[in-house]
Amino acid sequence: MKARILAILSLAAVSLAGCGGQTTKAPEPGGSLAETGTTAVDTTLASDEKVKLTVSTWDNESSPQFKSIANAFMEKYPNVEIELIDTQSAEYNNKLTVMLAGGDSDPDVIMVKDAETQVTMKDKNQLLDLTDYIQKDSIDRSIYAGAEEQLKMDGIQYTLPFRKDWYVLYYNKDLFDQVGVEYPGDDMTWDEYEELARKMTSGEGSSKVYGTHHHTWMAMVSNWAVQDGKNTLMSEDYEFLKGWYEQALRLQDDKIVQSYANLKTGSIHYISVFEQQQCAMMPMGSWFISTLIQDKKDGKYDFEWGVAKLPHPDGIPAGSTMGAVTPVGINAKSDVPDTAWEFVKFACSQEGALVLAQNGVFPAATSAAIVEALSSMEGFPEDSKGALEVTNFVFDRPLDAKMASVRKVIEEEHDLLMIGEVDIDTGIANMNGRAAEARAE
Amino acid sequence: MNSRRKKALKTNLIGYSFIIPSFIGYVIFIFIPVCFSFLLSVMKWDGSDAPMEFVGLQNFTKLFHDSTFIISLQNTVWYALFTVPLTLAAAMLTAVLLNSKIKGIVAYRTVFFFPYVASLVAVGAVWNMLFQPEFGPVNEFLKWIGIVSPPKWTASVDWAMWVIIIVSVWKYMGYYMVVYLAALQGISDDLYEAAGIDGATGLKKLWYITIPMLTPTTFFVVIMLTIQCFKVFDLIYVMTGGGPGRATNVLVNHIYNAAFIDFKFGYASASAMVLFVFVLLVTLIQLHGERKFTDFV
Repeated sequence: MKARILAILSLAAVSLAGCGGQTTKAPEPGGSLAETGTTAVDTTLASDEKVKLTVSTWDNESSPQFKSIANAFMEKYPNVEIELIDTQSAEYNNKLTVMLAGGDSDPDVIMVKDAETQVTMKDKNQLLDLTDYIQKDSIDRSIYAGAEEQLKMDGIQYTLPFRKDWYVLYYNKDLFDQVGVEYPGDDMTWDEYEELARKMTSGEGSSKVYGTHHHTWMAMVSNWAVQDGKNTLMSEDYEFLKGWYEQALRLQDDKIVQSYANLKTGSIHYISVFEQQQCAMMPMGSWFISTLIQDKKDGKYDFEWGVAKLPHPDGIPAGSTMGAVTPVGINAKSDVPDTAWEFVKFACSQEGALVLAQNGVFPAATSAAIVEALSSMEGFPEDSKGALEVTNFVFDRPLDAKMASVRKVIEEEHDLLMIGEVDIDTGIANMNGRAAEARAE
Repeated sequence: MNSRRKKALKTNLIGYSFIIPSFIGYVIFIFIPVCFSFLLSVMKWDGSDAPMEFVGLQNFTKLFHDSTFIISLQNTVWYALFTVPLTLAAAMLTAVLLNSKIKGIVAYRTVFFFPYVASLVAVGAVWNMLFQPEFGPVNEFLKWIGIVSPPKWTASVDWAMWVIIIVSVWKYMGYYMVVYLAALQGISDDLYEAAGIDGATGLKKLWYITIPMLTPTTFFVVIMLTIQCFKVFDLIYVMTGGGPGRATNVLVNHIYNAAFIDFKFGYASASAMVLFVFVLLVTLIQLHGERKFTDFV
């Protein structure tokens, strides 16, 4: 009798689970503007009715990028209350996946941390198609210098570029002054950079100054390899990385940079290395500028620093750099899509870009006024305006649905290469093999 | 219904009402998800609104051709092979040593138990610092006693797993030490006295009385430890992230990556099924062995 009850219960549980699993909902395309009517937008914002907008963000404590634009928007439209759902950057993608998987209407506005994650979001119908909104409001897309074009998926605009970061070269002016060496210029090749780093390396033990610092990301090798736009991280043959790995390992073996193994196991962050004056130079993203300005204000360090254009391979012009765009999109299940669109429109406009620039954050939209605003922000070094000019911009990682899986396997091989467990040729061959497997899935 | 059956029914109902809350929680959070997982292992699903596709045993055949899966299986077995006996020995030894009534014995027991309750993330970060290849205390000590090039620990494919094993033993022996301490209380002093009269020394007493009398507990500990070892994930995630390369990539790592990075829930569930079968097999073997090897008590 008892066994029968148990059997019936189990059967019920399994069939319940089975039912739950097999509901096949036909995927709905992201909603469009047609249903809401054209006047809805204005009335939502102009009315006295309080509207709440949720925006998913990361690392609010260390960067003013999201707070500044949210505050500016709320000033312009006082009846909208913006709530930032903040997460630590390392956990952001995971947390966002979970939030969206629940089918919630929050967050209304989605800040996309790694551009490739928007591909998965689109495949899961989590992003709203912005085409109608863009057309209705006649958005001028030339201000993005082509960045928004690279964000289209299947020819449709699901996101707009909010922020753009590109790689530049930071240097410690005090350290250069101490040894009487000229600051890095705006037109160095990577070979000249290596020479300069060797010159600037000095000392031993705890007082050692490393010529430069390369963080543990694979980007510190692959970025310079893709700088000329001829290859990407989704290329089928990673042979183009070889020379760059040779340089990286050379710098490490000659102790011009700290060893990868040490940095990885000690979880040493690049911020502390630069701010504690352990390195004379450092190639890093433009986001670091606002961190440096803020940290100096907070008294965390006290030396003079500058920033120059990133070194470039021989044969391509100075000002060629790479980086990533932070796109922003709207949750397909949002309950206030019109208000969300107003926020997205504002955030990606030149008006919004100016707010970002005044807060030391680099917007995706560009113009002479924005470059001027960026260079005149408090704490920005006077002679470093050149670094803000970008002549050529490539994505450091292409937008591809398989990028995340390919990235996981090539980064595992990168690990082994950098700690010397495999030689470069074997490492690259492994990357080719495993990336091909990941792509084929 | 006569009054005796009524009374029995009432007692039963009272009993059930005590366990219903916990049982409902169990069904909702454990039983149903496990059944769902069984179902998912023969499906292909990316976790979104998209429909699930039935693919039969395809996930399982893919698994056995996946080099990462094979590596993670090997790593898990290697980890369990060493962690189980080492933790067991450490736990048993410390329990025997701390099973005395000297002053301050509680303090000693607390010290050994403390790692078990310490935060995993903090513990992982500190051990990483201790084992840092260039400036860490461990390598500084090894260089001081004359080992010219000490291993690079978590930055080395050969040694990374040993770091995890060492930290695991350190962290988990406290719990099993307490289990053994309890069991030791149950060994009658008469046995030791009798052995003493026959001229047995401390070591002989340990070998011929303590260890045999502890066999039931040892079996329990071995089963718990094996299951725990096969489930290891958090410590590895915090300390090495599965690296360098795939040196510390274990089964649960593979499941996690497949599900949350590659969004292949069906494939991840198939991997989880393999873990389930493995642990079940190991447990059954051990239970069978218990009947044959456990001493009379």
